[in-house]
Amino acid sequence: MKLVRLVKLKHKKTFERHRGENMNIAVLLKQVPDTTAKITISAGKVDESLVSKWSMSPYDEYALESGLQMKEASGGVLIAITCGPERAKKMLTDAAAVGADTLVHISDEGVKDSTHVQKLLAAAVKKFGADIVLCGKQAADTNGGSTGPGVAEILEVACVTLVSEVNYEDGKITTIRPSSMGTEKVSLNGMGVFAFDKGSSELRRPNVRGIMMAKKKVIESITSGDLGVELGISNITLDSQTPPPAKAAGQKFEGAEHVPTVVSKLRNEANVI
Amino acid sequence: MRIMAYEALDFYDVDSLLSDEERMVRDMVRDWVDEEVIPNIEKACRDGVFPDEWRVALGEMGVLGAPLKGYGCPGLSYTAYGVICRELERGDSGLRSFASVQGSLAMYPIWDFGSEEQKNHYLPKMASGEWIGCFGLTEPDYGSNPGDMITKAEDKGDHYLLNGAKMWITNGTIAEIAVVWAKLDGVIRGFIVEKNDPGFSAPEMKGKHSLKASVTSELVFQDCKIPKDRMLPDVKGLRGPFSCLNNARFGISWGALGSAQACFDSAKDYALSRIQFNHPIASYQLVQNKLAWMLREITKGQLLAYHLALKKDSGTWIPEHISLAKMNNVDIALEIARVARDIHGANGILDEYPIMRHMANLESVKTYEGTHDIHNLIIGRHITGIQAFTREV
Repeated sequence: MKLVRLVKLKHKKTFERHRGENMNIAVLLKQVPDTTAKITISAGKVDESLVSKWSMSPYDEYALESGLQMKEASGGVLIAITCGPERAKKMLTDAAAVGADTLVHISDEGVKDSTHVQKLLAAAVKKFGADIVLCGKQAADTNGGSTGPGVAEILEVACVTLVSEVNYEDGKITTIRPSSMGTEKVSLNGMGVFAFDKGSSELRRPNVRGIMMAKKKVIESITSGDLGVELGISNITLDSQTPPPAKAAGQKFEGAEHVPTVVSKLRNEANVI
Repeated sequence: MRIMAYEALDFYDVDSLLSDEERMVRDMVRDWVDEEVIPNIEKACRDGVFPDEWRVALGEMGVLGAPLKGYGCPGLSYTAYGVICRELERGDSGLRSFASVQGSLAMYPIWDFGSEEQKNHYLPKMASGEWIGCFGLTEPDYGSNPGDMITKAEDKGDHYLLNGAKMWITNGTIAEIAVVWAKLDGVIRGFIVEKNDPGFSAPEMKGKHSLKASVTSELVFQDCKIPKDRMLPDVKGLRGPFSCLNNARFGISWGALGSAQACFDSAKDYALSRIQFNHPIASYQLVQNKLAWMLREITKGQLLAYHLALKKDSGTWIPEHISLAKMNNVDIALEIARVARDIHGANGILDEYPIMRHMANLESVKTYEGTHDIHNLIIGRHITGIQAFTREV
């Protein structure tokens, strides 16, 4: 049985524009190598030019879906924001095809680490007057998990992580997240950043009408300068990247006499029984 | 989390020529086929049903009647229509047949030859998938020679009376409406017959070893009475059905490549993992020769289909162009399926692999919408100026 614990978060600051209804919903998206794409390392770094397919990071898809549902329930505008290279614009068009209204691409020129990305995203959230921010709990490529909390810190608002759904009810934003006892329902009476785990809703598919509308949508391209953000220096250097170690060859056993050995291996080595 | 395992064989990067919109449509259909069709297709074939949720999904995606504009239709390019057919047929030819019949054979004639009232009444509901359509041209005794059809319509003053029978009708039993070609005073005309019209029935044909996930039916008209406003006003003669068939055949020329790609992918994966004489069979020259031949033919077929799509979109095509592409691409797809079965060895006959299903499907695809031989005769007539269909020159 799942226990539901109710938690009320005190936020540090409310958004000035929080109106409850017809909210501006910002969804922070990242384009990552598709989870099935082959990753090639050359000279100690991932060679991005060899990535065959780029996709929206899967947790971000749940954030987007939740944002679309919120927009449909209470009205409002969904602002899809990404910080990345030119190729990331395609992902914004994909977001538009399922219903994103405003598309914002922040150039990643000069971006050295995730704190830079957070600064830019937070500045864009302010610039576009968002009332609520949704994002994935971590990106499928770096798995850093810092964007949501980092953006919340800069904006001085609450951050709820690992959420599976976000709803607007009676002037409050409520969300569901796991707790040590099962799940907990957390409510905020102000602005917050919500970092999504796998959501509880099925992701919507685009359709032809959405794709044709998306084609006509203009992507607002902005730079750190446009946002008035001084990126500054970075204390972090990515020294090298290495592929995971090659999987050890499998072992083959034939004949009933090996059953005790196999069982022992499954129990003690593979830890599956 | 979405499954995105499929990476299409595209040796000459032909898909890079697609517009962004066409690529997005491709990805939408491709993802749906991966997630909903491929995991369920073998069961659908075993049960001999076309899953109704596929009808709903095709309608929701908005791909039915892809290149038609207005009346709630998608208004995409013919290139996009081709891409949709290719992605659907990678799942199964029966699925692509459903979409071909709905869009090119049932919606198209209403869109091109129907009255405003007919277009407004039927097309939006057909584009959304709410109403399924079918197309009645072929008869038990008249396949390649539809001009001699027996089905006839009589003008009874305030209604038409239809008598006759059609055969091999995809979607027939599940259709709300049928676009039926019949002779009125000796001239072929198109009529819209609705499911509940008196004197109309559409029994399903059972026992197929091919296109098992597609519904195939007879259409029977026994003093079938239909209102006067159901005749398509703007077309007479074989031009009507042949216009529809041109569009459907165009879709097939792309669709067959989807089947071929599915067979190639399976054969490649199997050859790389199947060990004989201590080495993967992919390392043997005879197998590599087969895989190289498959890639060669698929690549040529892709270029043919893409260029034909450009001609369709620019209006510079002739029916012979379509005949060549339909004939070639189905022919190579069928041969690729057979060679893929060979590479799979005995495993190739199991439904664990898509091979035998695609092969059996393609036997139908080779025959329907103009048989392989008829398309050769169409091209033969183009080359020589002499028609060789009939002795009555």
